[in-house]
Amino acid sequence: MADKSKRNIEPHVRVDRLREEHEQVVKGCDEQILHWKKVSGDYEALDDRLRTLPDHLSYEVMVPFGPLAFMPGKLVHTNEVTVLLGDNWFAKCSAKQAQRIVDHRVKYVKGELDDLLKTRKNFEARVGFTEELEKLSNKGSYVDIREEDRNKETVVTKGKQRVAHKPKSKPKLDTVLDLEEVEEEGKGVEGNEEYCKILSEEELWARLDQLEKLEEQQDEEDRLSDTGDTNGEDTTTSSSSEEEKEADCSQPENEPAPKTSWATNGPANGQLNSQGAPGGDTTKDEEEHEEEADCLPTIYFSHTVEPKKVRINTGKNTTLKFSERKEHSLTHSKRKKKNGTNGHSHHELHKISSPVDIYRLFVDVKNGEPVPRKSILKSRSRENSVCSDTSESSAADFDERRLICRNLSHDDAPHSDTSDGITEEDSPTAALSRAPSRFEAFSGTVVEKDPMPTAVPHLTIAPPALPTILERKQEEVTTDAVPPMEPPKRVSKFKAGRLHR
Amino acid sequence: MAEALQKKLQSELEKYKQMQKDVSKSMSARQKLEAQLTENNIVKEELDLMESANTVYKLIGPVLVKQDLDEAKATVAKRLEYINGEIQRYETLLKEMEKKSEQHREVLSSLQQEYQKAQGRAVGKV
Repeated sequence: MADKSKRNIEPHVRVDRLREEHEQVVKGCDEQILHWKKVSGDYEALDDRLRTLPDHLSYEVMVPFGPLAFMPGKLVHTNEVTVLLGDNWFAKCSAKQAQRIVDHRVKYVKGELDDLLKTRKNFEARVGFTEELEKLSNKGSYVDIREEDRNKETVVTKGKQRVAHKPKSKPKLDTVLDLEEVEEEGKGVEGNEEYCKILSEEELWARLDQLEKLEEQQDEEDRLSDTGDTNGEDTTTSSSSEEEKEADCSQPENEPAPKTSWATNGPANGQLNSQGAPGGDTTKDEEEHEEEADCLPTIYFSHTVEPKKVRINTGKNTTLKFSERKEHSLTHSKRKKKNGTNGHSHHELHKISSPVDIYRLFVDVKNGEPVPRKSILKSRSRENSVCSDTSESSAADFDERRLICRNLSHDDAPHSDTSDGITEEDSPTAALSRAPSRFEAFSGTVVEKDPMPTAVPHLTIAPPALPTILERKQEEVTTDAVPPMEPPKRVSKFKAGRLHR
Repeated sequence: MAEALQKKLQSELEKYKQMQKDVSKSMSARQKLEAQLTENNIVKEELDLMESANTVYKLIGPVLVKQDLDEAKATVAKRLEYINGEIQRYETLLKEMEKKSEQHREVLSSLQQEYQKAQGRAVGKV
């Protein structure tokens, strides 16, 4: 209570003091102004006297003689004045000069007076302000105290909230870990779901890239006048892929590792294709569908030099594809299940106990033996390449449409790999001829990794298969190596592919 | 404990008071210098109004000593320089003193707190 009373009193005292100080300043100013006014008055009198002084040669004056007495005297040398300049300096000068000096001093005095008046005004205003402040502080002192209390309370609450947050977040992680462990042990449904989550991260990355490209594509298309067909394609593809995802997640039991199924989907289809080449229609369509979903954006729009022409050409084909896809989406779902089983087999080999194990899930089967994938970044790039693989089929379709523009766009090199894989089933010779030309740019980097030309049938199975494909292609390239031939051959190829369909 | 603190506090307080005195002294000196500066400025300006025919005197003690006008001007200029230098010197001096007094004040406040604590403890013990 004592504190409070003190607090209440203090501001008053302070404000009072402030006001007093201000008032004192004002008072001082007033005094000084009076003083300077007197001085200026004196100087005016002096000025008068000096003006009239030299009028006569002499004056009869009473000279002060000590403090008590005056003496009659005579003032002579009326035009000769000794002026005290200040600091004990004197100067003998005429009355006129003295007048000038007086004028100078009067000027100074006036300046001084002006300054004082200003300061007084200033402080008078401040006095008014302090009076207002006093009133305000009188009214507001209690409120201030209350506010302080509130602040303290809020701080306390903040601390509590913070404490509460941490435990919540931590348990989640624990549960996740637990779930993973459970998965390891029992491989229950929950575990599979966990897989879904974990796997979906990588998936998501691939998907994000895809979507980005789709966006770019769409933007370009928006710019271009003929948007309709291609846009429809894109949307459908994206939606279909999403559906795939959802389906994977929703059927955890069928597909224990949906991620793997995603990653391996392309390859699995490839296997199917290779196996069921004669049965071609459904499998091929499926593949195309998937591939397009994965890779369309990457293939086309990132690299094409002249997107406009391409699109125009593609328009019809895309529409055709559209219809095809719809037909085959049903078959696709069936396929998925098959893929899922495949993925499952790979998957069971490895238990996930740490993030490292996740990568083992993405096993690529080469020649019937599982080959571990490389790190995420590499795998990601590979995934992209995989996408390109799958997309290649679509790319091939585009190529058909593009025929005219072919010469301009050499960018397709990456896509060509995939296209080869697909085309092999349909028309191997055409694929061979086509691949080499595009391939040249790509060959150096990829070839060295997988020296497995025999894996050709398996190529489609897994992303790592890509390099093998490339090698093959290279070999083919070396043998065939007919870059100038590209445009006509391609045409023939695609036509052949269509016929097959 | 409390007594020792009190003694220390007292001595510090004395020092602080002394310092405050010094500050005010140099402050007043500075003000004087300021006044002299303005005065000399006026003198200089008025000397500029003089002509060579005018005789200038310097009051030295009870006597007026005749001075040459140019000489007088030079001396006044020198005087002005000197005064300006003095003012600057006092300025720095005042700053230093303010710093010191600030430190002193802090020391004093901490000492006061300690003293109060000690007192409180003593009371509690008692």
